[in-house]
Amino acid sequence: MTTDSLVVGGLTRQFGAVVALDNFSLNVAKGELVALLGPSGCGKTTALRIIAGLEKSNAGSVQLNTKDITNDPAHVRNMGMVFQAYSLFPHLNVAENVAFGLKMRKVSKAVRDNKVNSILELVGLDHHHKRFAHQLSGGQQQRVALARALVIEPEVLLLDEPLSALDAQVRTNLREEIRRLQLELGTTTLFVTHDQEEAMSISDRVGVMNKGKLEQIDTPDTLYNKPATEFVGTFVGTMNHLPTTLIDGHINLFGQNIVALKSGNESGNVIALIRPEAITVKTDGTSNATVVTRSFLGASSRVTCKTHEGTLVEALMTSAATGDLHPGSEVQLHILSKEVLVTNA
Amino acid sequence: MATEMKNLGSKIILLVTGIFIFFPLYAATEFSMRNGAEKTHGLNAYRWIFQQSGFAENLAITARITVLAVVLNLLIMVPTVTWLHLSGQRYKRLIEILTILPLIIPVVALATGAQLALPSILENTVYELSFMYVVVAMPYTYRALDIGLSGHPLATLTNAARNLGASWIRVLMNVIVPTIRPSIFAALFLMVALSLGEFTLAQLLHWTTFPVWVTNASQQNIIGATALAVGSLFFAWLLLFGFTFFGGKNSNTVQEEA
Repeated sequence: MTTDSLVVGGLTRQFGAVVALDNFSLNVAKGELVALLGPSGCGKTTALRIIAGLEKSNAGSVQLNTKDITNDPAHVRNMGMVFQAYSLFPHLNVAENVAFGLKMRKVSKAVRDNKVNSILELVGLDHHHKRFAHQLSGGQQQRVALARALVIEPEVLLLDEPLSALDAQVRTNLREEIRRLQLELGTTTLFVTHDQEEAMSISDRVGVMNKGKLEQIDTPDTLYNKPATEFVGTFVGTMNHLPTTLIDGHINLFGQNIVALKSGNESGNVIALIRPEAITVKTDGTSNATVVTRSFLGASSRVTCKTHEGTLVEALMTSAATGDLHPGSEVQLHILSKEVLVTNA
Repeated sequence: MATEMKNLGSKIILLVTGIFIFFPLYAATEFSMRNGAEKTHGLNAYRWIFQQSGFAENLAITARITVLAVVLNLLIMVPTVTWLHLSGQRYKRLIEILTILPLIIPVVALATGAQLALPSILENTVYELSFMYVVVAMPYTYRALDIGLSGHPLATLTNAARNLGASWIRVLMNVIVPTIRPSIFAALFLMVALSLGEFTLAQLLHWTTFPVWVTNASQQNIIGATALAVGSLFFAWLLLFGFTFFGGKNSNTVQEEA
């Protein structure tokens, strides 16, 4: 049975008239990696900072391993944090930076050296002990910051967009490494990011936030395949927005009768939300659309069509099936999914 | 061709500036080393300084005033400027204007006004000067520290340190102070330079400090006075080099716990 390591209940934070966090609750199980995903200004960083004790909430509570720490100052919460901005202490070298938290905990020098050595080895920086921050690349600096946060054996690791200042290649490598370390050490982790690929690729669960609220928290698969709201569906992955009419719990699109999944009290004119890979393009003589563009992406191709009613529809198919499609080709669009999420028009 | 002309221009400017700065220095040094009206040179005038009564006493008084001023200055200014950067942004303009005031208010007004404001326990001791020197040096020390703090992502460093288990006092002592050490040394040097050279306030408040003593002593001996001026200048330079050397060195020492 898993137990919840971090329990956050009803956090609310207002900055003047702006509600940055609105009754935000979250449970993170021991050893779990949960990502908070959302556009900038959605409150995800505020949530993280309140959990870390770097900011106060107007209401709500934070519990760490069944202990209420809502009013504890930041420095007594046993949490490790990696920040978006480079945060290595410029007057200390790599080893001293990593040892900082241990020093604050009055760990003896011998134990400290041991732990610093093994964690630096773990993040692949075992030959950089004496370097200073200005002698390291951005990726290396964030590795040191990660080592510094992990060496204190935190009860929760908090990651505040640690990869967003890095370039694409380093970003992908480091995020895989974060996951590897997290699994290896079994550290309960909360990861804030605005990059959906980042969140979806390494997390056990992803919480999508919007306007200070947690819209949905689920496994990446569920989130992608069964988004609870239009916002989640649109924010995670690409979505076609196709206008249609809801009758008796069904919609009719491209001559197909499909079960409609409602996120609210939709009726009458609705928008159907359909993933590009749930749409296929056929050339069997019948036609309800014209190809506008076809982008070759390697194994798959993205085909954009315009229905005869004038709606743009994007389909993602294996490239093998799209070889003879050209702009202007008359095609028949077909929906592959049995159920489709609808929202008010 | 154009580059050469430009280089030549730069060299001429450098030469003229050099002459402008160093010729008076050279002249003063040469003059201070004359043996009276004779054509020989020596260190008689410098020896004369040390033989004057009150040299050591007054230097000691000024040294004590200086030490107190430096301590006061750092204790007040470092936490204040740090706070301004972390959470007092909206007061920054106000404080900036306040720190300029010592340049605008005449020293006479400061002398009488500040003396009235001081607690009575300080009124009759020479150490009241330390407090006033802190105020007079504020336009410079504030800016030295402000520049030092602006160059670092202070909020992030503070958050990181807090998160790693540092209390506020530890954040200040183990992170902020070592991070801005060069600026702290600059502020310290400015404070020392001001304390060592301040004459007006001490004179107005009837205290004999080293600069006041120098002024009085030098009225009897023109060569000696020049020697004093040159000596003070070289002493100040020595200090400056010292502070730059210690302040600029990268330290590997976070306070070690026993």
